[in-house]
Amino acid sequence: MANPSLIAGERGADHAPPVARLRDRARPWLYLAPLIIALVVWVYGPLVFTGVLSFMSWNLTAPHPSWLGTANYSRLLHEPQFPHAARNTLVYAVAMLPFATVVPMALAIALWKRPGRVSTVYRTLLFLPVVLAPVATAITWQFLLDPLSGLVNVVAGWFGVGAHNWLGDPSSALYSVLLITSVKVVALNVLLFGAALANLERGLLEAAALDGATEWEITRHIVLPHLRRTVVLLGMLSLVVVWPWIFANVAVLTQGGPSGSTDNVYYRLFTYAFTFFDAGTASAAAVVITGALALVLGLGLLVAGWRRRAIA
Amino acid sequence: MPSPSATRRTVGTVGRHAFLLGAVAIMILPVLWALAASFKTPGGIFDSNPLPSPATLDNYRVATRDFPVWRLLINTIVMAAGVTLLQLLIAVPAAYALVRFPPRAHRVLVALIVITLLVPPQSLIIPLFLTISHLGWRNTFPGLILPQLYGTGLAVILLRDHIRAVPSTVLGAAVLDGARPGEVLRLVLLPLLRPALGAVAILLFITAWNEYLWPSLAAPDIDHATIQPGLGAFLTQEGPEYGPLLAGSMLATLPIVAVYLLASRRVTDAFMHSGLR
Amino acid sequence: MSVKRTNVEETNVEGTNVERVAGRRRWSPVAAVALITAAVLAACGSSSDSGATAAATGSDQKISVSFLSYNYGTPDIGGKGTQALIDAFEKAHPNITVKPQGVAVADVLTRLQTDTAAGSPPDVAQIGWSKMAAAYQLLPIVPVQDIPTRADWNAAMAGFSQHLLSAVAVDGKVKAVPYTISIPVIFYNADLFRKAGLDPTTPPTTVAEVKKDALAIKEKAGAQGAYFAVVDSGKSDYLTQSVIASNGGREVGPDGLPAFDQPAAVGALAAMQDLTTSGAQPAITATNAVAAFGAGKLGMLIGSTAVTASLQKAATGRFELRTAGFPSFGSRPAAPTYSGAGLAVLAKDSAHQQAAWEFIKFLTSAEGFTIITSKIGYLPLRPSLATDPKYLAPYFAANKLLSPALAQLDSVSPYRSFTGKRASQAVVAVQDDAVEPIVLRGANPASTLSSVAGQVRGVLGQK
Repeated sequence: MANPSLIAGERGADHAPPVARLRDRARPWLYLAPLIIALVVWVYGPLVFTGVLSFMSWNLTAPHPSWLGTANYSRLLHEPQFPHAARNTLVYAVAMLPFATVVPMALAIALWKRPGRVSTVYRTLLFLPVVLAPVATAITWQFLLDPLSGLVNVVAGWFGVGAHNWLGDPSSALYSVLLITSVKVVALNVLLFGAALANLERGLLEAAALDGATEWEITRHIVLPHLRRTVVLLGMLSLVVVWPWIFANVAVLTQGGPSGSTDNVYYRLFTYAFTFFDAGTASAAAVVITGALALVLGLGLLVAGWRRRAIA
Repeated sequence: MPSPSATRRTVGTVGRHAFLLGAVAIMILPVLWALAASFKTPGGIFDSNPLPSPATLDNYRVATRDFPVWRLLINTIVMAAGVTLLQLLIAVPAAYALVRFPPRAHRVLVALIVITLLVPPQSLIIPLFLTISHLGWRNTFPGLILPQLYGTGLAVILLRDHIRAVPSTVLGAAVLDGARPGEVLRLVLLPLLRPALGAVAILLFITAWNEYLWPSLAAPDIDHATIQPGLGAFLTQEGPEYGPLLAGSMLATLPIVAVYLLASRRVTDAFMHSGLR
Repeated sequence: MSVKRTNVEETNVEGTNVERVAGRRRWSPVAAVALITAAVLAACGSSSDSGATAAATGSDQKISVSFLSYNYGTPDIGGKGTQALIDAFEKAHPNITVKPQGVAVADVLTRLQTDTAAGSPPDVAQIGWSKMAAAYQLLPIVPVQDIPTRADWNAAMAGFSQHLLSAVAVDGKVKAVPYTISIPVIFYNADLFRKAGLDPTTPPTTVAEVKKDALAIKEKAGAQGAYFAVVDSGKSDYLTQSVIASNGGREVGPDGLPAFDQPAAVGALAAMQDLTTSGAQPAITATNAVAAFGAGKLGMLIGSTAVTASLQKAATGRFELRTAGFPSFGSRPAAPTYSGAGLAVLAKDSAHQQAAWEFIKFLTSAEGFTIITSKIGYLPLRPSLATDPKYLAPYFAANKLLSPALAQLDSVSPYRSFTGKRASQAVVAVQDDAVEPIVLRGANPASTLSSVAGQVRGVLGQK
């Protein structure tokens, strides 16, 4: 959706002399050029390479990759590990959504409503989980969740909950990794929601408050609608940004186990590439992951388009 | 006797603080634990007691004396700052240009950018690695930094959203005043984007800062190595050195905290001033 | 993370296949394939110039040897010990400069793969035994025994544990020389033994005794009993191989295929499971067990001697740490396998290969092992050094922790690798799908091992 005022600016250019018009037409492309070059060189080019590699067998050092046809793909789909990892990935993604949207949004709104020194302190403290190195975070949770003497079990004991092997039990391992990671997601998204709220004019709220609107009514009718697009955006982005963090926690804490319960397609891809040195299967996994996500995205856009048309 | 609305406000304030305090407590627990543990002895780290007793500075001594932590931190700052600046330099004009395209072209371009975010970075590593090896860029900052531009799409998408949220009247007025697109970007849009730029810069810096796999392959030499793979060196075959690892990561938080304080000033300033606009 | 072999011969044969396919079909992917091949060849080709820099062989000429080591540069004893070794070598060989490169232990094979792909492998590399078979297949490794003359080799290896040399040999040839070697032992907390009314001077020698003492510790000392670290967090199977071999079985058969579904292997893992179900062993991972042992809340930890110094540090001032030999199954002698690393040569030209050999010869000499044992805590693979007053006799007089392992050095069984290029996948399957569910979660040993064996055979048979 283009900004109407800017389109108006372009339309105005239609009456300008031809050279100037050409320059105006070319300018957006000029601004876009560095991005296009960067993405072609560092993403689309390598992606084509990956696509070709997915039909081959190669260990990174053999002089010639050898042609395999679709064997890598059929291995991925027929061995139980990849489909299992895909299901886990879906669970991670869905369960992470509230931590990417509702929770940080509530915190950001609470901070934004009363600006001041106290809010700044809160905001800084809330951000701290992000600054700790991923390896250190994982190690810390390894100790906190220790089945015999971890602090989490000690605290759980005060409430009469028996000691539990959070990361060692296949039924709780995925959710443990998820909660550990969600701390960082919440911390980061509080910041991003805060940036989105900075665009909201406080004058609106003051006017509404003068009109006798309650706190909740202001939030419900002014703040939330303003953040609607940010919620959608961060919800979708969390599905992209969150994997490196989940990856680090899985790599240090569970290595995909127990019984594959914390495995996900990204960890699987890494395992194929750098534990098994099977560049072909890793590339096939990359193609499947990218394709599946693009499909989801495409469907989402289609549905959004239909809804827009239905409303119009 | 307080009015009902004042009572409601007091309850709201108390509730708000309870909510924030609870969230803060849960979220900084691991950070506090790690901080305390960085002062523990090799045996004490295994105790249930979260406080160090006895406390020791040995871990910091090991991390700074037996380990080139400062050099790694400087390398990491150079890398993360380079990645952040380059991505912003590319993303700001691109995001501005994007909203100027007609809807159909705009949607196609956005889709092409979003697809680059969906590609698992682990799968790009192999071709990227071969590329920089071929160019002789291993153990150089260009080799470390430039391939990380694969993530530029994220900054573009985030900034585009903020540019679209800028009230159209503001930009329209500038255009009517005869400002050229470059001037609109520089003089009107950039000041309005300050909070967004601050937040996005923090996000980009931290993402680059936390990168493990790429630096470990692109710059394995200690002269160009970065802190994340460097911390991995504490997980040795002869038993993990938890204390020095945590001490090292505490030192490694300092540059990020500095960046946060610097950039978030812009975010919070905007919080304060936005009401006056 | 243990990684095994990829069949180089097979990839070469299929390489010609690519050309055949490329000739037959004329569509775009073919061009891309050609491009990739060209790019890879170019990447490999660019390596040749580094070799050209060192044509010199003369002993008075300066030459440098690059050395990739996961011990180098670490902030602990491993880093300091490795530096001491390099300093001593350079002093003895002023014409050879060592260029050490550090690497995180989990990244060794990745690093070697990528360095080789970039055309600049190190001249000498420290590679873990669980990854050695993969390294032989993936990397341009020059068998160390091929570099010196026969007389030079024999002279250098006199006094080295011949049992170990023959255990690591491939087809009768030593391709990588054992360097930082450890074997599993019983670490035990003497204080908890006393508390449980046990005599710490007579530690258990069999698995059955381990169980009995562990139960006593659990009952009377209020701590966890014993933990066999078979569920290794790095997914290495060296302890799995150790318990199976000690029960008279094999994890990997002579044909490189699964043998862990045979009765002796099933019996070994059933015994591990029995420790858990009886309560003698907590159902936790090895990482948690090390933490519990360090906290003084676990009586016995059966694991690699590599962590001796680290455990000693954790125990200092808190409890008395002692060690005992790897336990046997009944009267059958214990047959633990070794873990740790060997030294392999990847140098491309003969001058660097000779220099690499000089370096390896020094690292594994009496002087080298004196440093390795006293500074890093790995076993002296020249056992006579332990009683030689010139070398390690003073060390062993003061440090008893390594003695039980040293006594078992000549009964170690070889570490065996699965065959084919999916061997690393097979090891992960054994550890994840069989060992962990059986030992920690009560899966039926016989049926689980037999179904995983079938699965592994399928994996190994794939292209």
